[in-house]
Amino acid sequence: MNFVKRYLIPRLVQYILVVFLGVTAVFLIPRLTPTDPIAHTIAQIRSQGAYLDPATVDEFIQDLKELYGLEGSILDQYIGLWKRLFRGDFGVSFFQFPTRVSELVGRALPWTVGLLLTTTVISWVAGNLVGGLAGYFSRKRWAQALDFAAMVIRPLPYYIFSFTLLLLFGYVIRLFPIAGGAAIGSVPSFTWSYIADVLRHAFLPALSLTILGGTIWFQTMKLIVQNVNAESFVQYAKLGGVKEGIIVSKYVIRNAMLPQITALGLALGQIFSGALITEIVFSYPGLGTLLYNAVITGDYNLIMGITIFSIVAITTAILLLDLLYPLFDPRVRYR
Amino acid sequence: MNGTILRTEQLQAFYVLDIFGTRKVIKAVNGVNLEIRENEVYGIAGESGCGKSTLLKALYGAIDPPLRLMGGKVYYRINGKDVDIFSLRPDEIKGLRWEYISYVPQGSMSVLNPVIKVKETYRDFLESHVRGKTKDEIFEIAKEHIRALGLPLTVLEAYPHQLSGGMRQRVTIALAALLKPRIIIADEPTTALDVVVQRGVIQLLKGIQENLGNTIILVTHDMGVQANVADRIGIMYAGQIVEEATAGEIFGNPLHPYTRYLINSLPRFGDKGMRESVPGSPPSLANPPSGCPFHPRCPYAYQICTERMPDFFEPVAYHKVACWLMGES
Repeated sequence: MNFVKRYLIPRLVQYILVVFLGVTAVFLIPRLTPTDPIAHTIAQIRSQGAYLDPATVDEFIQDLKELYGLEGSILDQYIGLWKRLFRGDFGVSFFQFPTRVSELVGRALPWTVGLLLTTTVISWVAGNLVGGLAGYFSRKRWAQALDFAAMVIRPLPYYIFSFTLLLLFGYVIRLFPIAGGAAIGSVPSFTWSYIADVLRHAFLPALSLTILGGTIWFQTMKLIVQNVNAESFVQYAKLGGVKEGIIVSKYVIRNAMLPQITALGLALGQIFSGALITEIVFSYPGLGTLLYNAVITGDYNLIMGITIFSIVAITTAILLLDLLYPLFDPRVRYR
Repeated sequence: MNGTILRTEQLQAFYVLDIFGTRKVIKAVNGVNLEIRENEVYGIAGESGCGKSTLLKALYGAIDPPLRLMGGKVYYRINGKDVDIFSLRPDEIKGLRWEYISYVPQGSMSVLNPVIKVKETYRDFLESHVRGKTKDEIFEIAKEHIRALGLPLTVLEAYPHQLSGGMRQRVTIALAALLKPRIIIADEPTTALDVVVQRGVIQLLKGIQENLGNTIILVTHDMGVQANVADRIGIMYAGQIVEEATAGEIFGNPLHPYTRYLINSLPRFGDKGMRESVPGSPPSLANPPSGCPFHPRCPYAYQICTERMPDFFEPVAYHKVACWLMGES
């Protein structure tokens, strides 16, 4: 009961507050910009040569206002936004009219989550495992070689690294397709050939993300382990003749994992913002490209939809992390 | 008189540091000869920074860079034979640890793994030395041990951060006695504890020693604690032992001027006068004074004190002191 009162409730309140403030900011910021989406749309139609008489324009403005949720005072609009949000309605996309924002997000989401969830988890596990061992045995030759490799890879700009991979394995050696999430015209299905095709398309983007992400986990974990290794309780266990296997797993890695668990939670939340550069370099369908196009075309509803979605995703990830963390650290569990 | 269990010969252990190409040598242990006997509490006393903890590391055979063994030997008496521990293979030394010699580290606050229960720490130490026991048997041994020492059994189920400082210290001392070692080395076990808790900790240590009939090497700068538990005391100054005698002799008839200062600085019942402390400050071990290292602070220093370090004189039987003043008499 004490746990609920002192740990759970403050975090739930914080969660709700963050989502509320985030949505409010997302609502206010576009309205503070000098562009008027309605004038913008009408100008666009006019520029295409269509003649609109003043009465039609008035009617048109009215329709667009209703459609975009821009009727009434700011307060009315704000309340209207919350009403729609609770129904799970993010409105329609301006640019891909009349497709609903939720449908566009739903279409992009599986690609993004499939790619990023896999690569984040793989690079986290691999980077921490190898980094942990390299940190503990930091005087060994292989650990220093790995450290050197990481030092070379880490500063490479991601767009150059991924583009090199694409050129090498997509164009020079034609092992993998150079664009898309699946072959054009293929219908999603649970057949072996379709899944293999998706995996083949995802391989290069996943490889680039795993290598670069894994290197970062490797380096941080190596540093943390070297620090923990110098802690009194590790030195003491060594002086006590405790077996090395026990020291590595139970004393060093277990303590060094704590900050990495926090970082994993944050990285998982970040997934829902998409991976823009990956998606552009590999022409991979996903939330990143969707958001990018929405910004370019001034598709406010879509921007708001994606932003609100990722705000909720990240804060939820942090909340889950906070709730799971006591399982790993007894100092948080018993206070 | 009991036989010798641990002996050192001209032990020298220096910290060799390389700071941007400049070699810096800190002579933390500089020619120490000890003969520590079975079934006694041997106290080592001295100011902070005189090399006490380094001496313990060397006695324990734990010399890791930047600390280096520059010369001398440490012998353990194992089954009637003197064993030079620096000639042993790492796995042989590892085998002696906790079973033959164990260690209560300085600052026990942070020596217990914070993410596992105390019983898990006990299990790790037991499992690494005792073969062929199931998990339950091992916990049973730990429980029996804790109960025998009169500590509450609940400490085993606790995490380190849930225990008080004194309890953590007691848990660490109990852990050191777990495999009934012949020698226990205790580095400042009572520092950072208040006097009431100190008493409990000292009693625990003393109780263990009486029960096992083993040897405890106790390092503390606290002369009050030394007076309470030590059978014999070695006074350490600037990496060297300058006086060694039974506790009664050290407190009743201190011969070295430094020892006298240490004893005179202790408070006494009924005496409200100012306590006099040692003038000056401890010498730098990187660049110790010539001759007797105490001469810059010594009110009785002669010419010879600045030139040569005296050998041990034994003006009273079993009372050794390295001071030119004693040589005269």
